[in-house]
Amino acid sequence: MDLCFFLGCNMPAIRPDVESAIRLTMPALGVNLVDLSGYVCCPAFGAFPSMDTESQFATSGWNLSLAEEQGHDIMVQCGSCYSSLHMGLEHLHEDEELRARVNDLLKPSGREVQCTTKVRHISDVLYNEVGPEKIAEKIKKKLNGVHGIVQYPCHTLFPSEVVGFEESPRKPVALRRLTEALGATVDAFSLEYQCCGGAGGFAKTSPAEADAFTKTKLDAIINETKAEFIVVSCITCLMYMDGIQEKLNKQAGKEIYNIPVFDYNQLLALCMGFDGHKVAAISKIPRDSILRRF
Amino acid sequence: MEIDFSASNKNLWKEVYDNENLHHCYNCGTCITGCPASFGNPPLLVRNLARMVILGLEEELLDDPTPWSCVSCTRCEEMCPMDVKPFELILAIRKWQSLSDPTYIPTAIVEIYSRGYTQPVGTNTEMRESLGLHELPTISNQPEKLKLFREMLMKTPVMSENDYMFMGDE
Ligand code: SF4
Ligand code: SF4
Repeated sequence: MDLCFFLGCNMPAIRPDVESAIRLTMPALGVNLVDLSGYVCCPAFGAFPSMDTESQFATSGWNLSLAEEQGHDIMVQCGSCYSSLHMGLEHLHEDEELRARVNDLLKPSGREVQCTTKVRHISDVLYNEVGPEKIAEKIKKKLNGVHGIVQYPCHTLFPSEVVGFEESPRKPVALRRLTEALGATVDAFSLEYQCCGGAGGFAKTSPAEADAFTKTKLDAIINETKAEFIVVSCITCLMYMDGIQEKLNKQAGKEIYNIPVFDYNQLLALCMGFDGHKVAAISKIPRDSILRRF
Repeated sequence: MEIDFSASNKNLWKEVYDNENLHHCYNCGTCITGCPASFGNPPLLVRNLARMVILGLEEELLDDPTPWSCVSCTRCEEMCPMDVKPFELILAIRKWQSLSDPTYIPTAIVEIYSRGYTQPVGTNTEMRESLGLHELPTISNQPEKLKLFREMLMKTPVMSENDYMFMGDE
């Protein structure tokens, strides 16, 4: 299948190794990625969606119209982009007046939005289109005996009527099953479904409280599981769960937290035999403990 | 805190969040229970914000910075039993604050206006090459398209009213 790859801002600019992992693994699993020439910021919730309706949905419309032109659905990894594009699609689809106004705004650029394209998260595509069985067949190396935990991206779960692809948003399984397909053991723990805390204003307005919020989760991982890695499928979860461990270690003056964090496609790429220097090169917490197994 | 209801604006909800379901909010607090930012200082208490909008407490709402602590996790949207869509309410309050007081306007929009993105997408050429990645067809590399995108944004109300924010980018 062909899908338009919506990159967002953080992945290509700050964590391009994730982009590399996605571009190598997806075509090998039968998913061809098409670039969206001239795409813009999703819009990020902290930008136009916090300012006014017209600029928010005109920006969503701009991006959606690019995919409609290509005739393929959109595939996204970043949770915020996924959620924002869905909000755009939902409102533009349901509110004819809004759609007409946005199309007026798009017209001078020769664009139009009809809401014919779907927005899909990469873990949905991997789980529901490719499937864990096919992934297990395609990999060359397995993570047998290695324990990990999964960090579910909130934006892919809620509101489930709009963005959901799990049977139960209260007990999601996609990322767990996908990680198990790589041979790893996924441990359960009490705060498994807690938000990473990284998107939006919380960490900026209340840094001490935000640190404590994520520290509680990291402590639960250490105390309740045998996790040697954290797997995510959202660029914000990735950067935040990685960066905060370094920050907490600096605050404490010692190395307490050192659990390497991977985007799912990075682990997948390693298991498929791709070069770690290309697909998992950038992190704050060293990944050597996992990388040396490949 | 004593609240002076004589100064309240009974139509505030229409200005802020014209959604009938808001009036079905029965103060259960479910939107607070799972909210990461409810641990903030000051805490984000979505239920209280819903009350402020319904009761028309305009001044209190305009001065309240807590909607900006929301992490957009959308848990409240999933869990609210009355379909108030609390996350959409948060965004609506931010929009109303930005419209009423331009100091609320997020600075990230200046970056998006000037280059299309919140981050410098496509300028890390060396790193991208070392990872085997191709050059991206970004909007920043297509001046004609970027111009059309900017012109589109400038036709929207808050952007055009505050065009002084973008002067350096012409
Ligand atoms: S969860 Fe819904 S009904 Fe309950 S207090 Fe929050 S907004 Fe009101
Ligand atoms: S979307 Fe915002 S208000 Fe709602 S639970 Fe998440 S952080 Fe709290």
